[in-house]
Amino acid sequence: MIKTGRYGTVKYDPTGSGTPPPVEIISLNAWKASFKTDYEDVTCFGDENKVYVPGMPDVSGSLGGFWNSDDLTLFEATKAATPGLLELAPNSTEALFKWSGLAYLDADVDASAKGAPKLTSTFKAAGPWTMSTGTLLNAPLAQRR
Amino acid sequence: MITIPNSSEIDNAVIGALLADATLLALLPDGVYWDVAAPKAKRFVIVSLVTADDEPVFGSRGYEDVLYLVKAVVLMSTGNDVKTAAHRIDQLLEDQPLTIPGYTHMVTCREARIRYTEVDEVDDTIRWQHRGGHYRVQASIPGV
Repeated sequence: MIKTGRYGTVKYDPTGSGTPPPVEIISLNAWKASFKTDYEDVTCFGDENKVYVPGMPDVSGSLGGFWNSDDLTLFEATKAATPGLLELAPNSTEALFKWSGLAYLDADVDASAKGAPKLTSTFKAAGPWTMSTGTLLNAPLAQRR
Repeated sequence: MITIPNSSEIDNAVIGALLADATLLALLPDGVYWDVAAPKAKRFVIVSLVTADDEPVFGSRGYEDVLYLVKAVVLMSTGNDVKTAAHRIDQLLEDQPLTIPGYTHMVTCREARIRYTEVDEVDDTIRWQHRGGHYRVQASIPGV
């Protein structure tokens, strides 16, 4: 069903193990993830249209919100030598619907005299990502090809 | 679960900062009012809400961004010094900390100056002077 994005969550575990479970990063209000797959053009003589075969799926995206000096998780993550476990949920009231996986993160702060300083971050997969619900989707993305 | 504070506390903090100042009350002895002054008031401060925006974060309101009209209003025949009164309002609000129950004060600053003369609606020989500004107050909700 369609749910509001107001109760989205972004959680992170710097150890990457998931134990203890990832902790919510506060003061965020946006996330975006892309699971696009590269396609190889394999069109041959005589084909009536272009033909493609899928390559590897990408997992990357961005986070957004406000700078909050009480939570420096993203900035600590930018300096981490090993990837942490990132967990993204569109709506926390549907606890089973979320994506998670190891990721490297970076962070940007955009401060101006008007409004609260804004925080943005991008992430890139550092291991297989999963969606936590559905038989098909439970498999790592790379194994579904 | 975050407890959302009462937004009216922000209004109260602004009014409270003005009411607590003896210098301002000496300049404008008829008081500080929300939107409309008391009948027969001739030298007073008006505070009104211009805009009030909530900036969301996931699961909550992150901070509130409120723009107030704060102005000294003086009947010209009283001879009260509206120039000094408006400056005193500015001294009390611009970049000054506000104590707001349930919130963490972020900033108070003027965004625009106001100055105009009004002809009284009933008696066109009477003039009112208005001077002050639009003041932006931002206050965040702890823990979100």
